[in-house]
Amino acid sequence: MNLTVNGVDTTIESGPLTSLLDVLREELGITSAKAGCEQGGCGACTVLVNGASRRSCLTPVASIDGAAVTTVEGLGSPEHMSPVQQAFTHHYAAQCGFCTSGMMMAAQAYIEGGGSDDHEAIQEALGGHVCRCTGYVKIIDAVAAVARGESFDLSVTAAGTAMTNIGGMA
Amino acid sequence: MAEVLIPASPSEAVSLYGDGAGTTVIAGGTVVMPEITYGRLTPGRVLLLSNAGLDGVTIDGTTITLGATTRIDTLAALGDQVAALATCADNIADGEIRGQATVGGNLCVSQGPEAPRGDLQGVLLALDATVRSAGADGERTEAIEEFLSHRAGRLVLDVSFERPSASAFSALDYPHTHEYTVLAVTGVRAADGTIRLAATGLAGTASRLHAAEALASDPTAAGAAAVGDCSFADDALASAWYREQTLPVLVRRVLNQLEESA
Amino acid sequence: MKAVGARVPRYDGIAHATGRTVFVDDVRIPGTLWVKAFRSPVHNAMMTNLDTSKAEAMKGVHVITSESVPLLEYGHLSALGIPADEPLLAKDEVRYLGQPIAVVAAPSEEAAMAAVAAITADFEEQPALFDVRKAFDADAPVIHDKGNWYTHFEDEMDRRQIRKGNIEEAFDRADLIVQGVYRPAAIEHAPIETQVCQVVPEANGRLTIYSCTQALYFSMGVVAAHLQLPLNKLKVVGGTVGGGFGGKVDTATETMCALLAQKSGKPVKWRWTREEEFLCSSTRAPWHMEVADAVTKDGWILGRKMLTLHDAGAYSRFSPYGLTKHSFHHTGAYSIPNLEFNGYVVYTNRTPTTAMRGFGVTSVSFATETHMSRIALELGIDPFELRLKNANRIGDTSPNQIPYTDPSTVPTILAIADAVGHDLTPEYAGMTPAPRSGDLLPEHLVGQLGNPEAH
Repeated sequence: MNLTVNGVDTTIESGPLTSLLDVLREELGITSAKAGCEQGGCGACTVLVNGASRRSCLTPVASIDGAAVTTVEGLGSPEHMSPVQQAFTHHYAAQCGFCTSGMMMAAQAYIEGGGSDDHEAIQEALGGHVCRCTGYVKIIDAVAAVARGESFDLSVTAAGTAMTNIGGMA
Repeated sequence: MAEVLIPASPSEAVSLYGDGAGTTVIAGGTVVMPEITYGRLTPGRVLLLSNAGLDGVTIDGTTITLGATTRIDTLAALGDQVAALATCADNIADGEIRGQATVGGNLCVSQGPEAPRGDLQGVLLALDATVRSAGADGERTEAIEEFLSHRAGRLVLDVSFERPSASAFSALDYPHTHEYTVLAVTGVRAADGTIRLAATGLAGTASRLHAAEALASDPTAAGAAAVGDCSFADDALASAWYREQTLPVLVRRVLNQLEESA
Repeated sequence: MKAVGARVPRYDGIAHATGRTVFVDDVRIPGTLWVKAFRSPVHNAMMTNLDTSKAEAMKGVHVITSESVPLLEYGHLSALGIPADEPLLAKDEVRYLGQPIAVVAAPSEEAAMAAVAAITADFEEQPALFDVRKAFDADAPVIHDKGNWYTHFEDEMDRRQIRKGNIEEAFDRADLIVQGVYRPAAIEHAPIETQVCQVVPEANGRLTIYSCTQALYFSMGVVAAHLQLPLNKLKVVGGTVGGGFGGKVDTATETMCALLAQKSGKPVKWRWTREEEFLCSSTRAPWHMEVADAVTKDGWILGRKMLTLHDAGAYSRFSPYGLTKHSFHHTGAYSIPNLEFNGYVVYTNRTPTTAMRGFGVTSVSFATETHMSRIALELGIDPFELRLKNANRIGDTSPNQIPYTDPSTVPTILAIADAVGHDLTPEYAGMTPAPRSGDLLPEHLVGQLGNPEAH
């Protein structure tokens, strides 16, 4: 099997029923998608499959053989963040950060689909995603700001590229 | 290690499915994948329908056919044909699950661990749909009511129904987008004026509400009569008592909506 | 206060937004074994014939049971002298559904599940208790070898009690006794990151523990005690928590993973499933609170009798501490000079309960605020004015005799009245937290006053 992951053609060795989530995390070492519930209920594992936001935990990898997969790592880097990433940073839309990757991928699909800054529409688009820190207001604000095409002055919100690294591991 | 078969056409899917013995079918994966992940299901033989060409909506005159692997989110576009189907589909889970889950999966899903599942069944019952399926005795086309009563060992190919002159859907609100339908009622006025009613969220599969249909001209009486046709699940989402109390309300609402649309 | 109201950078903002934050589950160590638990399938039972031999015979599988633990019982508050009552792994009996009995490490998640499925035991079920009030009944079945409630408060008392003023006199003088029973339910923390930990045996003999703990030094002490190791043999790496809300104060996984890492000599990882998180992790406690207040017709609360039953679940964990906090706050934000409080930490067969956002205090706030509204309703008094009249003021004292130096009750209630557009008479609208005087210092409140300067 083959996938194009974040623009890179990749041969997949995992078994055909392996979830896309496990392929990304365990085989490819791409860890932004999280195993929050592994039953489609929390949204933390969401990635783009051929541009559509999908639960990677519910997707047997063989069912998307040949597809293009995008994760948060593919949106942008700390030095060159995408508009959605900049908005989440500027609006403090991540608290603990665990739901953030899934939220951003749903937001990315919403924006690419021409979504507006209407709060109800954003809530509907992100409705399958749970943030237990309950930071929904800031998340919706961030997505609305991207929809309006705003730019973000990260010099007052981001201040450098400090990383959270467990035990100094990058 | 499961044997995984990935048919590339409907006929290949039918032939690989055979009599279905020992075969787990995965369409969208939204129900089966967690079962595998959690170790509750260790399939020996898997038929993966992602590439089988069983998806798509066909409209031929007044007949609408939904392929088995048609995604739930596709149904939203059928609002001008069958309002109840689009409304019901839009009510299922979230946009991402709707983009993955399928019509056939919704028809075949078993009773969930904590609630009845299969949100579309009530709408398709009210539409008096027919199900085309394959299995041990070959291909079969039958009324959905019959299909639901003996669906084990069948591979759904498609579901067809006649465009109604009007349809209405009413459901109890539920607390979170990922809850299954607590209770929902669909009403359909067929082209010949016949009224059909069905409920989802009961115990087991969905049910036609025949007694209520007979009293359709009196929504209040129909609501009261509907209770007799149903058994009610007592689960995490609602008590049987609550479902029993609210069913007449939904029946009344649906009949009133049908009346208004006339 | 330069940060308040200003945009300040988040040290982890960009890392979160770019998927670079390394949570415990994201730590990658080659050769890591997967961990899974054999858990109690019943709520309360005697257990015999635990057999792990089939699992241990599987290739690459390592198993620990109660016999593998150097010090089986060690409490989360043992370091504070509070006795332990919970075994790390169940030995002869199980007291809650999902209690860990044996834990396995295997080369893959599937192999670990297969190993767990090969473990067997016999369970002789006993009556189980799920309601804290019923567990407190004199004729309730005894579900804990130390009795149905915790008995180790100061001087080995079986309750946390507070006595202040003269409660009988207060009730004699009352125009009315207002009673209420309040029972907030258990709440699951439900962090999106389930309980997770990785333990790596290092070449120098130490164990590196990657933990999602909210209480790193608690966890370190608990692991060291169970393993009977000096602290310098443990390196605990924490600080990145995918949501905790109190539930990750428990040392849920670290000790068992450390034992498996020792036994196998390999790195191990345990990530709970969502179902384990809901079924087996601790919750916020359910409470049963009975309140009786001696009140006067004009809205003074002369005294309060209160019985609190704190549902500990199967074991006490942090519950004695939670109940102690509860007792100090049992008058809420109000001055009640005569008190008789009795609080018990009661065992049931629910999952053990633990810390969660203000635990001990949120329950009594719920009870007190509901009770204040009930009193106002019974007396026909404006509920805002009833609260303002009895609100803590500078110099008033808490149930445990601490004088308040800067109580915020009055400005808070005024702000709420303003926010909801509730009109107050000028007497109340202009109220401040200043020390009581005049009409607001009736005779019954004089005796409770303390000196804030002395505190």
